[in-house]
Amino acid sequence: MSESEQKRSGSTENIVIAASDSALIDRYRDEPAPLLAILHAFHNRDGYLGAAAIEAIGKALRIPLADLYGTVTFYHHFAREEGGLQRPRVCTGPVCCQRGALEVLKGLEGAEEMPCAGRCDDPVPVLIGEDTFVVSAPFQTLQRRISSPLPVPNPGGLEECVFGAIRDPGRATLAGYQRSGGYGALTRALQEMTPTEVIDVLKASKLAGRGGAGFPTGMKWQFVREAAGGPKSVVCNADEGEPGCFKDRALMDHDPLALIEGMTLAGYAMGAPRGFLYLRYEYPETYKRLEQAMAEAEAAGLLGESILGTDFSFRIYLRRGAGAYICGEETSLLNSLEGKHPFPRNRPPYPTTHGFENLPTAVNNVETLCAAPQILRRGADWYESLGLGEHAGTKVISLSGDVQRPGNYEVPFGLALRTLLYEWAGGPLPGRKFQAATMAGLSGGFLGREAIESVTLDEPSVRAAGSMLGAGGIMIFDDSRDVVEVAREAMAFFAHESCGKCFPCRIGTQRLLERLSGDGPETLEAWQQEVRDIGEVLELSACGLGVAAGFVSESLLNNFPLQVAAFRP
Amino acid sequence: MQSENQNGQEPSITLDGERVGFASGESVYEVATRAGKAVPTLCYDPRLEAFGSCRLCVVEVAGQRVPAASCTTLAADGMEVTTASADIERLRRTLLELVASENREVEVDALRGIASQELTTLVERYGAGRGRFDGAQSGRSRADDGNPFILRDYDLCISCYRCVRVCAEQEGDYAISVANRGFATQITVEFGGHLRDSACTFCGQCVQTCPTGALADKKALRFAENGG
Repeated sequence: MSESEQKRSGSTENIVIAASDSALIDRYRDEPAPLLAILHAFHNRDGYLGAAAIEAIGKALRIPLADLYGTVTFYHHFAREEGGLQRPRVCTGPVCCQRGALEVLKGLEGAEEMPCAGRCDDPVPVLIGEDTFVVSAPFQTLQRRISSPLPVPNPGGLEECVFGAIRDPGRATLAGYQRSGGYGALTRALQEMTPTEVIDVLKASKLAGRGGAGFPTGMKWQFVREAAGGPKSVVCNADEGEPGCFKDRALMDHDPLALIEGMTLAGYAMGAPRGFLYLRYEYPETYKRLEQAMAEAEAAGLLGESILGTDFSFRIYLRRGAGAYICGEETSLLNSLEGKHPFPRNRPPYPTTHGFENLPTAVNNVETLCAAPQILRRGADWYESLGLGEHAGTKVISLSGDVQRPGNYEVPFGLALRTLLYEWAGGPLPGRKFQAATMAGLSGGFLGREAIESVTLDEPSVRAAGSMLGAGGIMIFDDSRDVVEVAREAMAFFAHESCGKCFPCRIGTQRLLERLSGDGPETLEAWQQEVRDIGEVLELSACGLGVAAGFVSESLLNNFPLQVAAFRP
Repeated sequence: MQSENQNGQEPSITLDGERVGFASGESVYEVATRAGKAVPTLCYDPRLEAFGSCRLCVVEVAGQRVPAASCTTLAADGMEVTTASADIERLRRTLLELVASENREVEVDALRGIASQELTTLVERYGAGRGRFDGAQSGRSRADDGNPFILRDYDLCISCYRCVRVCAEQEGDYAISVANRGFATQITVEFGGHLRDSACTFCGQCVQTCPTGALADKKALRFAENGG
């Protein structure tokens, strides 16, 4: 009998939970934020989320079935049909599309597309079940990938912060981490510093949110510390869903304990007894690494009850997303953690006072949290001085696309983009010229050739060029690429990921996708007018996703008029 | 909270050049509506928590670069608000054209429900008929749902979620929810089934709040069809 044929009452009263289901549910039901963990447990056991699983979970957690069903369908990676989890999912992000992802998709039986999976510095990734594979031309064999490329040292020999020790042998283990100074910051903080002193160091360092929003970290921690109510929470936003961004993956794969130390330090500074690490679905190997690192830290008394013998206790709950870009938006992430439909919330109030379960919460990016222990160990002045000129500190740039050496580079703020592109990354491919660069992953839209040659990597300079640096993903497209087609792929992404809450984004991204696919008015003038008008209302969107989609179409029209005219003759 | 400002006066905002007092906790939309401004909305229902999704109620707030949704913006003492500048009206018209473009039709029988003319009325007021932004239609009608009370004509749905919210916030039934996302959004009961097999009590609140006639009172329509 199919799901819809069964007679139901919408009530969970008559549902009987099988003993094997109870065991899965009981593993998490008394922890905070249980829903995602339980959904994944069933998804992995059954290979999909069937009606019986959803009914059992709804009954146990007292979630109305209509709500739970709706929420499950929101996530791209939750399969609703038997065998769904084992179907290959091929990354068709903007960079992978340029290197044969569509061929891979056609060649693999039963394969489906997935949005950018954060491996733009590796061959095309394919997820099968809980395993990551990569495949490169001529696309014959899938190769299992357990780790991801280690960032190479920058050729300028410039000092780094979060990558400073990442290449030390064994850095991903507790012994290796401690060999190169790991846990020095937490030890010092717990033994010698008050929480307020920790916050003061961060404020003095000028560290700001490295997920792209750039809010001063010390100030955020202070707001949470001073906010009334509790328990307070540290939430690490590791839902690195922005196409062209893969920096957090590198940090967590090669330096997982830096993140765990950073979260613990944040907990101490804010008086928060718990942290949530919200990891994107597409990093299953990273999940295992984080689990292992957490277990090592716990066994050594560096995480859990009475850390380092003090009266400070801190627990981290590792949670996985299930394929929803919007969950990288902090209020959607909080709703997702709480088991609610992951629409963004209206702000104010902000998470610092009304975060996880409406209690004070700091949501910080992976890179921000990894920087905190280094700053505490080496001093605010040291960190601030890493930036060039008047800029403070560093930023990891995920560079991909048509350059000789794509990868993650930690740059000082203020470095010329052309220095990164030509001197660090080896310049364009032989015989080619740079045509376009996306900024902030896709969220900053496109820079044209002139801006590529002139901007420096800091927010004021990139914003003056009509874009933004954001989370630091830069995808390069050379003169062999069709930039309108890249914009179409970008819009397909935003339309696919639009949550559907606000009108301009839900309808506007769809209409822009149709127009960039060739539909819309016949004449160039009328076509452009519609594209511009949609771009204008996208700015009214309730969150950054819709605004970003407008940047893509606007920057295409503004920076590439010849290519647009050729597309719409 | 405060009932007077630092100067000992009732807190107020400037609304299109006029000073209007407000009570603590009032949104800009509530103040503007009380002052007789016809700020358009589609996702707003005074019985429900402000949702902020249609973005039609955006207003200009001095000092803010981007217009703000007035329904989710609290009035603050000294705020300067413009409710219907030429720019704002143009943006609203574009939004309404986009909304009109996703539906099978805009004009519907008034017997469908008490709020069913809201979209039609706004489209007329802004001269935002269909024609521009032609493209795919959203929502899928459920002619297969044979319940005798509620017509589920989602070809006309604009995903304002007033039905979902009234069901949860007012009735406490949680019978309907939102499946999928983005343009593929669909109002649904669990497992995409029928209302009769759900927690729906057929109270009709969802029909009463639907601003497009996507949900309709089948009994009223039958009555009209049979010639009264």
